[in-house]
Amino acid sequence: MFLDSTGACNGFDAQIDRLTQVLVPLGGVMVDVAVIGAGQTKYGNHQLGLKGMWAEAAENAFSSVDKDFDPRQVDEAFIGSVAFGGAQLGNTAALLTEHSGLDGIPVRRVENACASSGFALRDAWMAIKSGQADIVVAGGIEKMNDLSAERKRFWLGVSGDTEWERLAGLTFPGTYALMARRHFHEHASSHDDLVHISVKNHMHGFENEQAHIRKQVSFEKAESGFMVADPLTLYDCCPTSDGASCVILAADHVVQQFTDDPVWVRSSGAASDRLALHDRPSITQLLATQKASQLAYSAAGITSNDVDFAEVHDCFTIAELMATEDLGFAAHGQGGVFAREGRGRRNEGSVCINPSGGLKSKGHPLGATGTGQAVEVFKQLRGSVESSRQVRDAEIGLTHNVGGSGATCAVHIFGRDRND
Amino acid sequence: MIEQHPWKGYLVVLNQDSLLIQSPYMYEETIVYGPDSDSTTMAIAGLQFMKQRGHEIDFVHLPDTIDAATVYLATSVDSMSRNDELDFDAVKWDFLDGDEATLVLSKTGLDSYDFDTPIGSEIIDSQFHMDIQEAWIRERAESNVSQGAYVSKSMYLEGALARLSLASQKSDEKLIWPPRQLDSSGQRIPSGTHSLTGEATVESWTKLSAAGAPSEFSLRAPILGGIQTVLVRFEQGPRGVFLVCDDVDYAPHIGDKVHFTVRRIYAQEGIIRYGLKALPLP
Repeated sequence: MFLDSTGACNGFDAQIDRLTQVLVPLGGVMVDVAVIGAGQTKYGNHQLGLKGMWAEAAENAFSSVDKDFDPRQVDEAFIGSVAFGGAQLGNTAALLTEHSGLDGIPVRRVENACASSGFALRDAWMAIKSGQADIVVAGGIEKMNDLSAERKRFWLGVSGDTEWERLAGLTFPGTYALMARRHFHEHASSHDDLVHISVKNHMHGFENEQAHIRKQVSFEKAESGFMVADPLTLYDCCPTSDGASCVILAADHVVQQFTDDPVWVRSSGAASDRLALHDRPSITQLLATQKASQLAYSAAGITSNDVDFAEVHDCFTIAELMATEDLGFAAHGQGGVFAREGRGRRNEGSVCINPSGGLKSKGHPLGATGTGQAVEVFKQLRGSVESSRQVRDAEIGLTHNVGGSGATCAVHIFGRDRND
Repeated sequence: MIEQHPWKGYLVVLNQDSLLIQSPYMYEETIVYGPDSDSTTMAIAGLQFMKQRGHEIDFVHLPDTIDAATVYLATSVDSMSRNDELDFDAVKWDFLDGDEATLVLSKTGLDSYDFDTPIGSEIIDSQFHMDIQEAWIRERAESNVSQGAYVSKSMYLEGALARLSLASQKSDEKLIWPPRQLDSSGQRIPSGTHSLTGEATVESWTKLSAAGAPSEFSLRAPILGGIQTVLVRFEQGPRGVFLVCDDVDYAPHIGDKVHFTVRRIYAQEGIIRYGLKALPLP
């Protein structure tokens, strides 16, 4: 399934049909899924190890449930992680869950590079949708800052095409730099547009107590950062962060046992694409994002115009620029204009992009990022973030979690209300 | 008649059926290799030059200093160093490795050679040269092992023909490169029997700082001042990403035409990985 000359996704209708078939259990009753609790660690340089970070995120999620919650009620758990550094490469989920009261249940590590916990969330959602589970934990974790600089650089490139991209000297800054330069060429966007994104996300993250880099950045400073991969500077790149995040999902028929104020998962869309950039029909759009978001919008019965805020995968500023186009917030090629005009600013623009500060400011502990985005959406929709950074009248939020340079993508849509 | 040419970053002198090919770099009055060249990369360039001039070279005697497998994958020219079933008498060409960064390719049995001194040598910065050579020694050490992402020997060899000779596959009348396994209907795509033309157009490029380069390049990237990568489209459609040659003074632009030459990429666990790198078309 690829974009044809008109930009349409061939085979899209068939995929929607298949999705619908999967989602309707044998009895014909569609189960709705809600988030009843969500928590995370602060992102940044942690003194805690894997077990300690996960326990903290789980504890925060458990305590966020409004009514009595016992982890022994959980049926299954999915933990996203790249297992950065190889500290606990095998049986990651078994180790972590035994330290958070989730003993004896089916658990597994989900790995899809930086989209690992976006897909863990999708797996958890599907476990409930299928009728096999009522309460499921989805989470993610990464410990990135306890490695030597040399070892860290080895691990930072493990999710691209090792054979053809890495042998050509590419890491992800390089891959996204290629996309940026091409986007500038095709669409008259410029590095200044990326600077606007950096400044906005640092502004949003400044008031987020969970953020890795709580620092406002001026346009002039972001414009003149150290060049990492031309044209991307340090201010175009997210930090490497430690962190863990945890979300508790429940089936509609048990939700009221735990809260009267759930956040509904209105839909989940996911897709994949060719791993290597040079094997894709276009390097200025992410087909996986387009497909995943179209599936998610369709299943939720909404369009991009209905979204109040979005947690977007801005591992590099160009990634956010392209995501605003691929998610439908800006027309194709107009992501630069969107950024320049400040249309993603909190409570100023048409849709708030990355109210948490995004990966750029909040941080990017690879495997934890996807469910970390869901934590932000849960809190925004329930009005429980710091009041200074609350998105006004937020009814619908979206998470967009990308693996690598776009080989995998999971999009989730959340709402105060269930689907009609 | 003696001809002199710059060729794929080297200097060549052709005297009838004999070719002198040498590095353009001088260090303390000695001819030395550039930062990503060696006798293997230069031998490949020499064979490609002679083939382009119409010489039919199927087999060649190679000195031990030249990686025969890489030469074969890049040029289809076989040698007894790689293939011990070759008939000695069938080999009509010799490669001779000079004391310095100089090779001679000639018909077998030739007793003497007469070449003019190549024009175009340049003095290489001595500190740069010493630093790069030291880095290669460390990089080539058996102890230089992977700590993460790793291109194993079998993985490298699986794609080596496509990597070194641009061998591509054909499916639905379209050329495919780099190689793929099954097509969208689940049918195996035949192995590469078609070669892409060795010219392509730059669609995007970047220069990675030493800090942004993969760790495989961490010893040399600081000395080189970063590494450059281009994303190109070949005339027949496929795209690929390539490093720019380490010793070429070239700032890419979108739309530039480039061609390719075999150079060292990096070394790991005692094995040098070779591949094509980009050069601007003259």
